[in-house]
Amino acid sequence: MSYFRAIDPFPLESAEHTKLHEFYARLAGGRLATTRCGGCGATTWPPRGFCPECASDRFEWVDLPAEGTVHAFTVQDAGLPAGFDGPRVFAIVKVAGHRIFSILTGADPGAVRVGQRVALAPLRVADDPRGHPRWLPAFRVT
Amino acid sequence: MRKVALVGAGVSKFGVRKATYRDLVWEAGKACFDATPGVLPKDVEGLVVGSVMPERTAFQSHISSLAAEALGIRPSALSARTEHMCASGTVGIRYAYAFIAAGLADLVMVLGVEKLNQPSGDEAILNMGTGVDREWEAAFGLTAPPCFALAAQRHMAAYGTSEEQLALVGVKNHTHAAKNPNAHFTKGATLEQVLCSRMISTPLRLFMCSPITDGAAAVLLASEDRARALTDTPVWIRGTGQALDGFQLTSLHEDYAHWPAMRRAAQAAYAMAGVGPHEVDLAEVHDCFAIAELIAYEELGFCRKGEAGPFVAAGRSDYGGDVVVNPRGGLIGCGHPLGATGVAQAAEVFVQLRGEAGARQVTDASLGLTHNNSGMGEHVVMIYGREP
Ligand SMILES: [Zn+2]
Repeated sequence: MSYFRAIDPFPLESAEHTKLHEFYARLAGGRLATTRCGGCGATTWPPRGFCPECASDRFEWVDLPAEGTVHAFTVQDAGLPAGFDGPRVFAIVKVAGHRIFSILTGADPGAVRVGQRVALAPLRVADDPRGHPRWLPAFRVT
Repeated sequence: MRKVALVGAGVSKFGVRKATYRDLVWEAGKACFDATPGVLPKDVEGLVVGSVMPERTAFQSHISSLAAEALGIRPSALSARTEHMCASGTVGIRYAYAFIAAGLADLVMVLGVEKLNQPSGDEAILNMGTGVDREWEAAFGLTAPPCFALAAQRHMAAYGTSEEQLALVGVKNHTHAAKNPNAHFTKGATLEQVLCSRMISTPLRLFMCSPITDGAAAVLLASEDRARALTDTPVWIRGTGQALDGFQLTSLHEDYAHWPAMRRAAQAAYAMAGVGPHEVDLAEVHDCFAIAELIAYEELGFCRKGEAGPFVAAGRSDYGGDVVVNPRGGLIGCGHPLGATGVAQAAEVFVQLRGEAGARQVTDASLGLTHNNSGMGEHVVMIYGREP
């Protein structure tokens, strides 16, 4: 037997695997959504199935603006995990008062600035083990 | 509550080790028993093992029982593993402390061990991604360096902290590590070397980062009666505190240069010990990245917010300064075998407060602090004293 290595670095996004499936379904259509608590009405990022304020597990989906601004960023050149290429621009993006952790795709790493405007750019990653397409909420400089 | 003391400590060689997980357990256990005359494995009533990811790196779980058997310990009061990412070792020490203070055990070993370097090098870094949120962070390729880089960017923008001041943390800790035969790096480093080292994640360069390291460390904790029977120079646990701001990056303080959980953990530990930051002689702080040590000066109260850059530049965190920070070489110089780090910090305070630290000895050290974190929002602080 040869050296064996197996890991799936991406979330399970399909309806059979997560109650947050609606987020990924909307993301595939270019929309950025999150959850609003059915108990107290609090809207959080990231989406969640349990409210940290009122302990309700009822929630509904709401769309957020698909644009925001760079709150903080760094460019990683080396030491990235296997399968992820550098330079990679990691950013905290401010959207409607929420901070969203993401990457900026297609950006010139030397030109990124705090306060810069960015837009949602859903990133297709490897299909899940059953062949369903998967997406991550990445952003691009506008 | 009963008083609790360290009565023994030992550390394996840290580095990219040609050694198995069990070899590392043996090395640290042997060093700890050798340093504790009068204690044999059969005398130890409990074992807590801090270890983060042996399931991925050694393909092994069930760690506490493995280590107990490897060392001949037959736990009669406590056997457990702690996993709290990079703070697992200190979290384990807190468990053992609480058990002994409550009267549930008299003599407990805490051992931290990690075998991170794998036959496939890129796998080691991939495994580190298990420490951040899989769904919302690690899926983008996030590991620790960019997190701490966000804090460094903000500290530089808000307070004018310079790249050179960040580099001076690397110089200091590499220089200290050169006096520690168990350190991963023992050659020291110049300011030019640190500033010219490869960029990892802006603005953090290679010599401002802790490496991927294999290693283990062990300490023995005892109740007051048992400690006084075993040694004339126990090292007393005076205070402890732990606090969390959050797990995901977007749950932390909006200004990434502010780590309020560290301040709260430190205040709890100072209050319990009845001391203040200016009484601390040496501090083993969690310099996983140079920026973490600078922010630690501020949140632990060694200097005011924003003044950490000038503090290190003036030598105030080095021998001859206000407080000697990371005399063993820190995580940057010693390496960071996750679960072993917090225990190795305690082992350094143990030898320092007993005056047994050799070339690294801090003059007249009587009060020592350790700070271990598992991300910018999760902190544990311990305070140890020569007096109870
Ligand atoms: Zn609610």
